[in-house]
Amino acid sequence: MPTMIWMESITKTYHLGEVSVPILKGIQLSIEEGEYVSIMGASGSGKSTLMNILGCLDRPTTGDYIFEGRNLTTFDDDELAYIRNQRIGFVFQQFNLLARATALENVMLPMVYANLPKPKRRERALEALEKVGLAERIANRPSQLSGGQQQRVAIARALVNRPALVLADEPTGALDTETSREVMSLLTELNDQGITIVIVTHEPDIAAQTQRIIRVQDGLIVG
Amino acid sequence: MFKMFKGFYKVKNTRTVPLLEILTMAAETLWSNKLRTGLTMLGVIIGISSVIAITSVGQGVQKGVEQQIQALGTDVIQILAGAARSGNVRQGVGSSSTLTWEDAKAIATQAPSAQMVSAYLQRGAQVVYAGQNTSTTIYGTDLNYPEVRNTHPQQGRYFTQEELDIAAELAILGPTVQKTLFAQGVNPIGERIRIQGEAYEVIGVMEAKGAQGPMDRDDQIFIPLTTMSKRLVGNNALVGVSVNGILVKGANQEQLEAAQFQVTNLLRLRHNIYPPQADDFRLTNQADIVSTFTSIVGLFTVMVVAIAGISLVVGGIGIANIMLVSVVERTREIGIRKAVGATNSAILNQFLAEAIVISIVGGCIGMATGILLAFVAANIFKFPFVISLLSIIAGFGLSLTVGLLAGVIPARNASKLDPINALRSD
Repeated sequence: MPTMIWMESITKTYHLGEVSVPILKGIQLSIEEGEYVSIMGASGSGKSTLMNILGCLDRPTTGDYIFEGRNLTTFDDDELAYIRNQRIGFVFQQFNLLARATALENVMLPMVYANLPKPKRRERALEALEKVGLAERIANRPSQLSGGQQQRVAIARALVNRPALVLADEPTGALDTETSREVMSLLTELNDQGITIVIVTHEPDIAAQTQRIIRVQDGLIVG
Repeated sequence: MFKMFKGFYKVKNTRTVPLLEILTMAAETLWSNKLRTGLTMLGVIIGISSVIAITSVGQGVQKGVEQQIQALGTDVIQILAGAARSGNVRQGVGSSSTLTWEDAKAIATQAPSAQMVSAYLQRGAQVVYAGQNTSTTIYGTDLNYPEVRNTHPQQGRYFTQEELDIAAELAILGPTVQKTLFAQGVNPIGERIRIQGEAYEVIGVMEAKGAQGPMDRDDQIFIPLTTMSKRLVGNNALVGVSVNGILVKGANQEQLEAAQFQVTNLLRLRHNIYPPQADDFRLTNQADIVSTFTSIVGLFTVMVVAIAGISLVVGGIGIANIMLVSVVERTREIGIRKAVGATNSAILNQFLAEAIVISIVGGCIGMATGILLAFVAANIFKFPFVISLLSIIAGFGLSLTVGLLAGVIPARNASKLDPINALRSD
């Protein structure tokens, strides 16, 4: 399979006043297209920071991040915004939906920034919501939806611009066992359709459902 | 190192959300948070409406004063008997009887630029009719007065040359006096009123001229100058009939300066005054009064506009505050938008659009409020309703500028936030 992600000596250091806190200390990582990978680690291990860098929400301090053949460390803000919009879908533990917008409007949001014509947005958003089983709840606001439903809206939003990669940071962290299972089977289904999936989790049974487990400890990959 | 990559796609970094869509989005956001929007708008509304209302009131008052002064005739010079000197104490203008009717007649024949001349005496007096009693101003005038002052009897007639010559006891009432003395529906013509105890026959009622400042120009009675001089004042000048003032009407406004020069010289000759000796008379003309009034009202308007400008600035600071707070409050929203691919400029435009929508909508409401306020004030305080296009353009332009400036800084801050930092804020 072709390589989608290649990370070379990625470090991330936060500066809190005088103190420098190294979070990532030289990550080497390669993920191939179509893989279903989980990243595991204790809290504070740096797995979320790694995820944010993978999702172009944050920049590494040093190192190279090659995504689909492009070195993203050379990209400017607008180019990274394009990658986030078109190539990567991000699913958050806390869903991160717009509270004032309906499920449909939330799912249409990435397409606003993709400059798609309005009828097309609606069509695709409805399609995505149907895919996650929420066709009935399109007019509901996040506060009117259960946690599992909110996470499915978030997944629909991540899918709507047809990305090559879906990143999910603790996607089941705020959900009960039953809805966790639903969300995981949804992600597995997406992977079956060819989308590369990377999830961050600290739950072994969630990680066990993926093809490969990457363990992070103290800012380094240990296996 | 890499096995193979998918076909190279082009990274477009110039995606822009169309203007109409940005504005729609801004309007929706503002609509969904009505309290915040309303408070922000209030600043703009107060600023603009006060600029427009205050400018309009200022201009209306100015125009009203001008109209009233114009009604008196701007082509008229008024000569007042000068300040008398007793010892070194200067007394008020008109306090001595240095002007005579003879002076007026001399001006009429010897000053070529004087088209028409009228002399008058003026006293406050008590007037009685059938038990009704009022205190008013009596004017003793000649036949030219109605023409020079541009005020004519609206009912009945003025007195004639013959009646002036024989000092007939006739009176023409101002409308206010008529209303005070006579019950409604009573025809005053032919009735006899008493002025300081002496009977006068009412032969006319003057047209209404309205109030000039605190002075009611309808609260007066006109009688022949000769009658006034003999009966109410007493002829006390060395030569002829002494008067309080002489009115000189120029052929037109341009002639006034020449008339002023001729009159001054003539009166100095007649009164044996050689400069640097002080004149015993004083000339004023309505045009000067108009320009004095205009400049005073103009200054007043400037001051008031400055106050309105300050309120607009305060409104602007209000917008800036709420925009700043709004950016902080919506940091997470900005993070979410960025996470799904919004560029910095898309965020900047969104916040700018909100500031613009607030300014424009607030501007329109403020404009309507301002015009309404000005209209109501004009009707209550009875001055002409004037709306200047300039104040509307200035008010609107200012609100847009203030709104944009107030929106720009928070919008720039918002657009520069890191997606992950924005998302982490709670």
